[in-house]
Amino acid sequence: MAGQVNLTSLNEQVRLKKEITPRKYSIWAQVLRSWQAYALLAPIFIIMIVFVYYPPLLGLVRAFFNWAPNKEPVFVGFANFVSYFQYAESGREIANMTKLMSFNLISGVVVPFVMAELIFSIRSSASKEVYRLAMVIPILVPGVVFLLLWKHIYDANIGPINGLLEAIGLGLLKRDWLGDPATALYAVMGVGFPWISGISTLIVLGGLAQMPESVFDACLLDGCTGPRRWVMVDLPLSLSQVRLLIILAVINGITSIQNILILTRGGPGYATSVPALRMFLRAFTTNEYGVGSAIGVTLFVVAMGMTLLINRFVRPYNE
Amino acid sequence: MNLKQIIQHNIFHRGQPKRTWLDSQIGVHATIILLILISFVPVYLMLTLSFKNQVQYQHERYAITFPLRLGNYGAAWEYLDTYVWNTLLAAVVGFIGMLILSVIGGYVFARLRFPGREPLYYSIIMLMMVPWIVSFVPQYVLYNDLGLTNTLWAVIVLNIASGPVFGIFLLRTFFSGLPEEIFESARMDGAGHWTLITQITLPLSLPTIATLAVLNFLSTWNSYLWPMVAISDPKYQQVSVGLFQMARNLSSNLSAATEMQGGPLFAGYVLASLPMVILFFFLGKFYVEGLVESGLKV
Repeated sequence: MAGQVNLTSLNEQVRLKKEITPRKYSIWAQVLRSWQAYALLAPIFIIMIVFVYYPPLLGLVRAFFNWAPNKEPVFVGFANFVSYFQYAESGREIANMTKLMSFNLISGVVVPFVMAELIFSIRSSASKEVYRLAMVIPILVPGVVFLLLWKHIYDANIGPINGLLEAIGLGLLKRDWLGDPATALYAVMGVGFPWISGISTLIVLGGLAQMPESVFDACLLDGCTGPRRWVMVDLPLSLSQVRLLIILAVINGITSIQNILILTRGGPGYATSVPALRMFLRAFTTNEYGVGSAIGVTLFVVAMGMTLLINRFVRPYNE
Repeated sequence: MNLKQIIQHNIFHRGQPKRTWLDSQIGVHATIILLILISFVPVYLMLTLSFKNQVQYQHERYAITFPLRLGNYGAAWEYLDTYVWNTLLAAVVGFIGMLILSVIGGYVFARLRFPGREPLYYSIIMLMMVPWIVSFVPQYVLYNDLGLTNTLWAVIVLNIASGPVFGIFLLRTFFSGLPEEIFESARMDGAGHWTLITQITLPLSLPTIATLAVLNFLSTWNSYLWPMVAISDPKYQQVSVGLFQMARNLSSNLSAATEMQGGPLFAGYVLASLPMVILFFFLGKFYVEGLVESGLKV
């Protein structure tokens, strides 16, 4: 609400200023007059050009070269790309990536949305605040520690999952969750269960909090309550936030490898291997930097394409 | 009675109790608490296991056992101290550098009007769309060529250079919302940009800066792939990589005795989490509110 008021007054100011002071400077005079702004921005852009713009551009170019840190780059056309797609396990890696990405939509979008709705429906604002804080605490554990803890939970000999199965007489189901090709990929997905912690839920809560009270009264009058209201009313009204989560889930599914690197390193065999992990291994273990760059560029194009598609087809009402 | 109560009252008296499980707040509370408790399981395991000696670790793995073996923490600290100091140093220096650039950038894009402002702004914001994956390999080569690998600068420079991308985005949004009157009157009194930034903009935006601080510390503290690749000397290694090596050493070198080494390992996990817990204790409220109230979206 406050934002809107500010915005209108700001527009008002701009309009007034335009009326009072008609434009009389040429564009070059304006540039000269604002030299201070450019001077303040200059250090930022210099640092960014070297360290933030240059690497991805170099990656884009070097995807077409055969190169390594101390080697003269040789242009090889699309050979690096071909090399990856001819590789026997690439199909399997792409399938794994697709599965992980699809699952991310549940663990990174659906679950946080439901959790946010549950917290939102709490009437006592004190409990609301306690729940919001409690949800954030598990993310204070460093990512690597969190993954190592899950590795422990899945452990074949001393892990609590097998311990629990044994205790309730289902010892038959015990297995090496991360070491068994049949379960490894699902075990990777299961990390973080029940997936409520972290900022996703808070982001949806932010969207829900911006819905006007009158909407809820209208829903109540029409008898639209509970999960039905979540889907029919709340979802469309907080679509900007939900769309952000969808995009993050997809990009994460394509690019995140820290979990796989720590939990399984792609194994057993190729059961949990994904293209992004292959990029990492090709570049840093077998020194095929060109192939690594080519995989990176391909994944970037896929991620970018999916982001654009999502932006095109998931449109909030106010856009 | 508010509207909701009246309607519920009416529905009830018309004999159509459309009560779902959501109407009973107790059910919702119970569901939320159950989910939160499950998500605390790893944290609980970490804490209890960190206080166990070898016998306790093997025979009483889930319950809290007494006496608490605080010695585990000493053993873990001896292994991790360098990594923790390195990461703290890199996080603080990196954050300060990144904050200076973000504040300047946010201020210029929010409060000054000059030709090319929007194109320049979007050319920075656009960088948020470039995933790490396309720049990771060349980035390593660049830092290697500049002699930054194998020093703490590898982590610090990355933070200073790429942190402002999000920092400028967040701060510009906030700075734009500050009333122009304050700036106007300060300018009347002859304040320059430096005064406007340090005396007016900064004091008014401490909660937002707290949010940025938590996010930035979290990301430095959690970064694993980059230090693993860019730093090979244990003298400069970061805590995430150190922890992973600690876990791996314990499980590979002592194959028979893996379980016996449990306590100190988990104590190390707890130690590595403490700085974030302390930071969150002071700034957590801002962080949660900042995220919820900013209505973050694309």
